[in-house]
Amino acid sequence: MFNKGKILIVDDSEMNRSILADMLEEEYVILEAEDGEQAVSIMEERHEELALVLLDIVMPRMDGFGVLETMNRRDWIEDVPVIMISAESGSASVARAYDMGVTDFIARPFDALIVRKRVVNTLLLYAKQKRLASMVEEQITETERRSSLLVEILSHIMEFRNGESGLHVMHVRTLTNFLLKALARRTDKYALSAADIERISVSSALHDIGKIAIDEKILNKPGKLTDEEFAIMKTHALRGAEMLNAMEEHRDDPLVRTSYEICRWHHERYDGRGYPDGLVGDEIPIAAQVVALADVYDALTSPRVYKKAIDHDTAVQMILDNQCGVFNPLLMECLKENSESIRGLLKGTLEQSARREAQGIVSESVRPAGASDRTLRLLDQERMKNDSFSAMTNDIQFEYTSSPAMISMNPHSAETLGLSEIISDPATDPQLQTVLGPDGWALLSEKIRLASPEVPDITYDCELTYGGHTRWHRVVLKTSWSDEDPPRFLGALGKATDIHETRKKLEELTQKASRDPMTSLLNRAAAQERIEARMLERPQSQYALVLFDLDFFKSANDTYGHQFGDAVIRTVADRLRRSVRGADICCRAGGDEFMIFLEYNTDLEKTVDRIFRQLTGDYEGFYISVTMGVAQSRIMGLSYERLFRAADQALYAAKRDGKGRYCFYDPSNTSTYSAISDIDEDANE
Amino acid sequence: MTLQDCYKAMGADYDEVFGRLRSERLIQKFVLRFPDDGSFNLLESSLASGDIGEAFRAAHTIKGVCQNLGFTDLGQSSSALTEALRSGTPAPNTNELLEKVRQDYKVTMDAIRAFQASLA
Repeated sequence: MFNKGKILIVDDSEMNRSILADMLEEEYVILEAEDGEQAVSIMEERHEELALVLLDIVMPRMDGFGVLETMNRRDWIEDVPVIMISAESGSASVARAYDMGVTDFIARPFDALIVRKRVVNTLLLYAKQKRLASMVEEQITETERRSSLLVEILSHIMEFRNGESGLHVMHVRTLTNFLLKALARRTDKYALSAADIERISVSSALHDIGKIAIDEKILNKPGKLTDEEFAIMKTHALRGAEMLNAMEEHRDDPLVRTSYEICRWHHERYDGRGYPDGLVGDEIPIAAQVVALADVYDALTSPRVYKKAIDHDTAVQMILDNQCGVFNPLLMECLKENSESIRGLLKGTLEQSARREAQGIVSESVRPAGASDRTLRLLDQERMKNDSFSAMTNDIQFEYTSSPAMISMNPHSAETLGLSEIISDPATDPQLQTVLGPDGWALLSEKIRLASPEVPDITYDCELTYGGHTRWHRVVLKTSWSDEDPPRFLGALGKATDIHETRKKLEELTQKASRDPMTSLLNRAAAQERIEARMLERPQSQYALVLFDLDFFKSANDTYGHQFGDAVIRTVADRLRRSVRGADICCRAGGDEFMIFLEYNTDLEKTVDRIFRQLTGDYEGFYISVTMGVAQSRIMGLSYERLFRAADQALYAAKRDGKGRYCFYDPSNTSTYSAISDIDEDANE
Repeated sequence: MTLQDCYKAMGADYDEVFGRLRSERLIQKFVLRFPDDGSFNLLESSLASGDIGEAFRAAHTIKGVCQNLGFTDLGQSSSALTEALRSGTPAPNTNELLEKVRQDYKVTMDAIRAFQASLA
């Protein structure tokens, strides 16, 4: 395997070089250098070919330490092992040499056996180290691929809801990555490392995550948005940021931090006229600036329900002319300079990712029938590699053969699961049943039944119990089949990865997506879903939908500041929670607007009046007063839409009549709603 | 004169060398090349011109070659001279040590020349 590797011998004595060369030249190609300078100039050209350097210390012009210094500075020492030759046994120079990356020493006088043995050992050690390094690298890539896959899934869910194709996220990410690299080449102003660029690119997929909190009706409205609707639409930037900020444990994680910046500020403008915060110039984090540009470019060049795609040149010109916002001049230069590369950049994104997937599948190995020696050897290597993989990643790996029915595992996996390395008759094995759960084996068999030689890969999630815990795992199986017709199931190679944390996080996010982060009340979309489900479930009951907002809230904000305003909103939410029954549905519909959905039997008015009075009252010197509109299913029927509209009209009527009151919707008398309450007297008490 | 006789003549241990290099052919090849090594002349000339650094390296090379070829006496005396020159300023006994190196070098060279002659 290492036959005829190249070894460079560096020694000023020709005799010494010859003696070494004689010992080694049968198995290796020998290069010689008579001092440090010659050695460096040989390495300059051929360090990639060198398997090993034998290096003397005391030499004219440049000594051995000088060579080591150069090798360190040029990073050659990572790739080329060095053995020092020396009679210098002073421990200081030995320590110094080891510090500088020397692998081993050969002392004079040379002993042929020892020289050969040390050379071989060093070469083996390095080969092994390189293999391990490449494994770790592969593994890290795999982990990164997985987490970016999760981000992609999440953002695709959103795009699905936005009625977009799913390409937008991918495009923004590709463009963001490209523009950041171009920017980093152009300037070091933003100190963008490769890791920064990777992180920002992954985070870019989350730029519109706040849209999950925006009403679908507004989100997918085919026509132009009204001013009010647009104002709601604009909240997606802050909502996205709030959602990320609410993940307390992970708030300081760089990926979350960057995602926060992107969510919050990807609609800011370089001239300060963007939203939500009106940041100017480089006050806007560079991540958000780049994503904003990528977002605009892709929006222009992609078709939408309401518009056709614009061609690349026009889009670039529009951006350069500031027709679609104002961007950092440096970024505009990057766009202009690389216009030709960007033109073709987005065409390949889909094909590329499909190819990546395919490569991922191919790289897992299967045992082919009638494998040659070489293949078996490769397979063995692969298995060795997999064993070390699984030790590094805590993945559980197993092999299942159908006849005889048997599961075998590597020692690491067996130890982790508390099972033996070989389990015969797995269908009835009680220990295995403890791990898989009572239905686990049936589930696995069912999944295998669904596989075929054409579709050999199976992936599913299940709970596994071991080490005293039950946790979610993702099981990936690669089945193998005989050449017969019809093909017979032979067995499967499998891997189980602990995905418990990831799954929990996703559940947490789904939960968060249905709640308003400030008050923990439901948001409007989630409330609507529950209201509709409730009416469907119990159509016999009577319901009321109450909408209310805070009077003079704007003045509270203006007078006491936003933090006080937030405290008022939270106080109202608390009072609201206390004033309703557990089965009632409460929601923050947006801003200072709230919604209650009640089921009632007897006197609705009394209930509404009680809630109204409980919400009203002083908070830290600010008098909280609300105006309410109420709609009843008795009149409007079991339709959320109709109820909501009616309550909204009643609210509007109550406001028209002076705030601080409630009003029931009454269609028989559209001009004079049955406005009932007026508690101004209470307020004056 | 055999190679073993040559080693005996210079007061060196042939068996030790053979134990390491494991080939009479190799040992003979290098022994016969020893007279061509310029290190001894370099040592003399650099000491004469006061270039102590160069003299140190030359002595160091002689020492290394002698160790490899098992030339025990010359190896020991050149090693002592190497240490005397290492600091860059010659130690007080440098001349004595140099004299010893000259003697050992002569003995070694005489033995090798005799061996060379017997081969011809």
